[in-house]
Amino acid sequence: MKNRLTWLAVIMTVSFLGIAAHAAQPSVEATARRVDAAIAEELFDDETDLAPTTDDETFLRRVWLDLVGDLPSPEEQTAFVFDLSPKKRQRVVRRLLESPYYGQNWARYWRDVVFSRTLEDRAYLAANAMEADLSRQLNAGDGWDRIASGFITAKGDVKENGSTAIVMAQDGRTEETTAEISRIFLGIQIQCAQCHDHPYDRWKREQFHELAAFFPRVGVRPLRGMTQRSFEVFGSNRFGRKQRKNNDRRPQAEHFMPDLNDPTAKGTKIQPKFFLTSASLPWGSTDAERRSKLAGWLTSNEWFSIALVNRMWSELVGEGFYEPVDDLGPDREASAPKAVKLLANQFRKSDYDLKWLLKTICQTEAYQRESRPRHKSGKTPFTANVPQRLRSDPLMNAAFSALEIEEMPEKSPRRYRKNVRRQFAEIFGYDPSTPRDSVTASIPQMLALMNEPQINRAISASRSNVLGRLLEEIGDNDQLIVELYLRCLSRQPTEEELSLLLAYGEEVGDRREAFEDLLWSLINSAEFRYRK
Amino acid sequence: MNPRLQHHTNIAIRRNQVVGRRDFLRQMSAVGLAAGACNWTEVIRASADELRSRGMACVLLWMQGGPSQYETFSPKPNHSNGGETKAISTSVPGIQIAENLPYCAKVMDKMAIVRSMTSKEGNHQRATYLLHHGYLPMGSVKFPTLGSNVAHQIGDAANQLPSYVRIGNRLANSGGGGFLGVDYDPLILSSANRPPENTTPTTGRSRYERRLKLLSSLQNDFASGSGAQVVADGRKLVTSASEMILSPSMAAFDLEKEPAGLRTQYGEGEFASGCMMARRLVEHGVTFVEVVSRGWDTHQDVFSRTRDLTAQVDQPIATLITDLKQRGMLEKTLVVWMGEFGRSPRVNARSGRDHYPKAFNAMLAGGGVSGGQVVGSTNAGGSEVTDRPVSVNDLFRTIYHTLGIDADEENISSIGRPIKLVDGGKVVEELFS
Repeated sequence: MKNRLTWLAVIMTVSFLGIAAHAAQPSVEATARRVDAAIAEELFDDETDLAPTTDDETFLRRVWLDLVGDLPSPEEQTAFVFDLSPKKRQRVVRRLLESPYYGQNWARYWRDVVFSRTLEDRAYLAANAMEADLSRQLNAGDGWDRIASGFITAKGDVKENGSTAIVMAQDGRTEETTAEISRIFLGIQIQCAQCHDHPYDRWKREQFHELAAFFPRVGVRPLRGMTQRSFEVFGSNRFGRKQRKNNDRRPQAEHFMPDLNDPTAKGTKIQPKFFLTSASLPWGSTDAERRSKLAGWLTSNEWFSIALVNRMWSELVGEGFYEPVDDLGPDREASAPKAVKLLANQFRKSDYDLKWLLKTICQTEAYQRESRPRHKSGKTPFTANVPQRLRSDPLMNAAFSALEIEEMPEKSPRRYRKNVRRQFAEIFGYDPSTPRDSVTASIPQMLALMNEPQINRAISASRSNVLGRLLEEIGDNDQLIVELYLRCLSRQPTEEELSLLLAYGEEVGDRREAFEDLLWSLINSAEFRYRK
Repeated sequence: MNPRLQHHTNIAIRRNQVVGRRDFLRQMSAVGLAAGACNWTEVIRASADELRSRGMACVLLWMQGGPSQYETFSPKPNHSNGGETKAISTSVPGIQIAENLPYCAKVMDKMAIVRSMTSKEGNHQRATYLLHHGYLPMGSVKFPTLGSNVAHQIGDAANQLPSYVRIGNRLANSGGGGFLGVDYDPLILSSANRPPENTTPTTGRSRYERRLKLLSSLQNDFASGSGAQVVADGRKLVTSASEMILSPSMAAFDLEKEPAGLRTQYGEGEFASGCMMARRLVEHGVTFVEVVSRGWDTHQDVFSRTRDLTAQVDQPIATLITDLKQRGMLEKTLVVWMGEFGRSPRVNARSGRDHYPKAFNAMLAGGGVSGGQVVGSTNAGGSEVTDRPVSVNDLFRTIYHTLGIDADEENISSIGRPIKLVDGGKVVEELFS
C-alpha cells in the first residue's frame, strides 16, 4: 500500500488537534478496566494461568491487521518499538482508526458477512457499492444503529446504494430477508421457527412470521439502463386484487404464514409484530412505516448491542462470549454474561460508536495478552488472545505490502468478480460468521501462495521489484534477513533462525537465490497467514 | 499422510461442526480411536460406509442455459410444437431422438432418457442451484452441491487428485462444499487444455524441494508458541500440495498423453476436451467430474443455435460412453446429461423457445443404469408430463442410489440442523430394470 506513510503523516497531524466528537461517551480506559474486572470475577481465580501482555512487535502487527487489515511497514515497526511513551499503544489504535483503511477493512468484513449468504450469485452486483458506502460511513464514525437502520430501510439501485445489499443478497424474498436481518443485527437465528416452533429456543412459528410481516412490501426488480444492467430494491404500497401465486415474489400488501398441511393454500394473514418486545403495527401500514418502525425497535433492543459487541470481541480477542457469533439470544448462555452486558451497555451509551468500541476492546488486557492456541472446550476462555487466520483481504494486503506489489485499479469497477482481489477471495475467502476453528485451509490456497505467477514474479529478484532493490541497498546479509522478517512477519528473526539462514546462504552459494528462497518461505509460512 | 486435496486438511478436530460420519471416522483414525468416543454400532456402520465406496464415479454433463428437449432427446416431429426438428432412429428399435444427435443415436442402447422431468423453477439462477443441490437456495443453510456431497460420501481420500473437478470455468450458482467446508469444493479447470491454476512450480524441481526444506525448518518459532496446531496443519498442507503437483498423477491433466486417433473420435472443441479429460480423471481415481457446456438459453433461433450446440456435444458424449465401455469403466461410472430446465412448447416470434421447467428431459448412462430405454412421456405437444413424472428430488435420489450412497444420510449444518442429502423423492426404479 504505497500511500501508507503519507496518510499516517496526515493523521498524526489531525489527531493532535484532539477532536472530541462524543463528549459524553463512557471512558475507554475505565470501560476496558471494568470489562477485564468482570471477566476476572466471572471466570478467573488464583489458579488461572493468564498469558502475559504481548510484546510491542506482536501488538503492532496485531492491531494493524485487526483494525486496518494490513501489515505495518518496517519503518513503522522500528519507530513503534523505540517509542518510549507509555501511551503508545492507545495512540497507534487511535491513529489507525482515523485512517481511511479502517473503514475499508471493516466494510469488507461486513461485505463478506452479507454476501457469504447470497441466494444468487448475481447479488454480487451490489458488493462494490456496499463496500464503498459502508467504508465511508465507518470512516465518518456513523453509529451502528444508523448503519443498521440504513440496511433495513434501504431502497434504490443496488449499484448506487450500498445499504441495499442485504435485501439484494436475499433477492428481496420476505422470509429470507427477515432471517438475515435478525441473524446479522440481533444475532438471533429465528428462521429456525419458519416451519416449526424453534427446537431449542422459545420462538414460536408465528413470531418468525410476525417479523416477516415487516417486509412483504419489499421487492427487487431489474433496472435496465443504456449501458448496464442493475437491480432496484423497492417498496410498494399499491396492490391489485390479484392473489399472489406460489413462488411469485412480487411485493404483497400483507404477509401470509403458509399452511404447512396445504402449501398451495393462501395461509394465514399475519400482523407485523417485533418478537423481542411485542411492539406491533396495524394492517395496511405502508412499507416505509413498517421498515422504519422495525429499524427503530430493533436497533434500540439490547440484543442489537450484544450481538455487535460480541462479534467485534470475537474478531479481536479470538473467541466470543457467545459462539457462534450469529447464534445468541435469551436462551443461550454467555461465557461471561456480566462482562458482555457491561460492554454492550457502554456501547449503547457511546451512541453505538464503533470506533469507541474498538478502542475499548484494544485497551483491554484480554486483547493485549499473548496468544495461545485456541482453547479446547471446557477450558477457561479469555486467558490469552488466539492466533487468527487472516481473512482474504488482509492476507492479500499483507502479501502485496510485503512484496510491494501494486494493486492495479479495476478496469471496470462494475465487474466485481473479475478483479484480482475477487480472484483472491475465491480462493481465500470464508464466511466471517462461521466459528474460526471450522474454517479450514485448503490445498488451492497453498498452491496460490507457492506458485501464483504475480506473487512469484515479486519474489524473483529483478531491477523492478523490492527484493532486487534490497539486495543492492543492503550489503550485509544479517541486515537483509532482518529486513525481510520485519517486512513479512513484523518481527526480528530469532538467533536460531538467523544462524540457520546464514548457513543456508553459504550452502546455496548464490546470494540472490538464497534470499529469494527466504522470501518465498516467509510468504508461505503459517505465521504469515495468521496474526498472533 | 497421503496427499489428499479434499479431505484431511482440517486436521484439527472440528468441535462445532461435526460434518458427517465419514469425517468422524477420518478423525478417529487420525487420533487413533479415542476410547469411548465411538460405540460398536458406529464401527459397524463405518465399515458399511467403506464397503459402499467401490470405486463408483459420476460424470455430470451440464448444459447451462436450459437445453431444448424438442431439439435433443425428446423430438415431437408430428406436432406443430416440434418445429422444424426431425427425429431419427437409433440403435434401439422404437426409440427416436432429434436429428441433431446422430452420434448419440448410435449408442442409444447404453443410454436411458428421462422424458418426464418436471420442476417449478423457471429462473436460471434458482434452477441452476436446484439442479445442482437438490434444494432451493436458503440464506441460512449453505447446502453442499451434488459433486461435493458425492466426494464427501465416496471420494477416495487416499487419492492424490481431488475428488471433485469441474471443467469449464466457474459457473454461477453451481455451488461448492457449502457447510461441508472448502475441502469439498471442486477443483476448477478453466479449460481442459491447460493444467489447473497454480500447479506449475515457478522454479526447477530441485530448487523447489530445497525451498520446501527451508520453509519447514523455519517455522519452529511459531510452532513452539501459539501456532503449534496451525503450523502442523500448514506443514501437512504444503506437503500434500507439493506432492500433488510433483506427482505423476498430474499427468491426468495432460490431454497430450491421449492417442491422436482417440482425440479425433472425441471431436473438436472445449467440451470434447472436457469429456476426454473427464474420462482420464475418473481413470485416475477422481470421483465426480462436471463438464460444462454453455449457451443453451435459446430464446432466439432455437433450431439453428441448438444445431450448433449439439454439434459440439453430440460426438463427445457418444465417444465418452463408448470409451468408458471399452475400458470396462462404464459399469462403475454414471454419466448424467442435463441442464436447469427445458424449453417452451411454443416457438416464439423470434424462432426461439423460452424457459420451461414443467416438462423437460435428462439422459443417464452407465453406473448400472439399463440403457436402451425411455422413462416417462409427455402429451402430443410436449407441454405436460402424462406418464411417470420425475421430480428433481427423484432424479437426485436416483443419482445417489446409483453411486451407492444413501440419500437419507444426514449431514449437520453449521448451526446444528440435520440436512438429508435429498429431502423426499423416490428412486426411479425403472432405470435399473
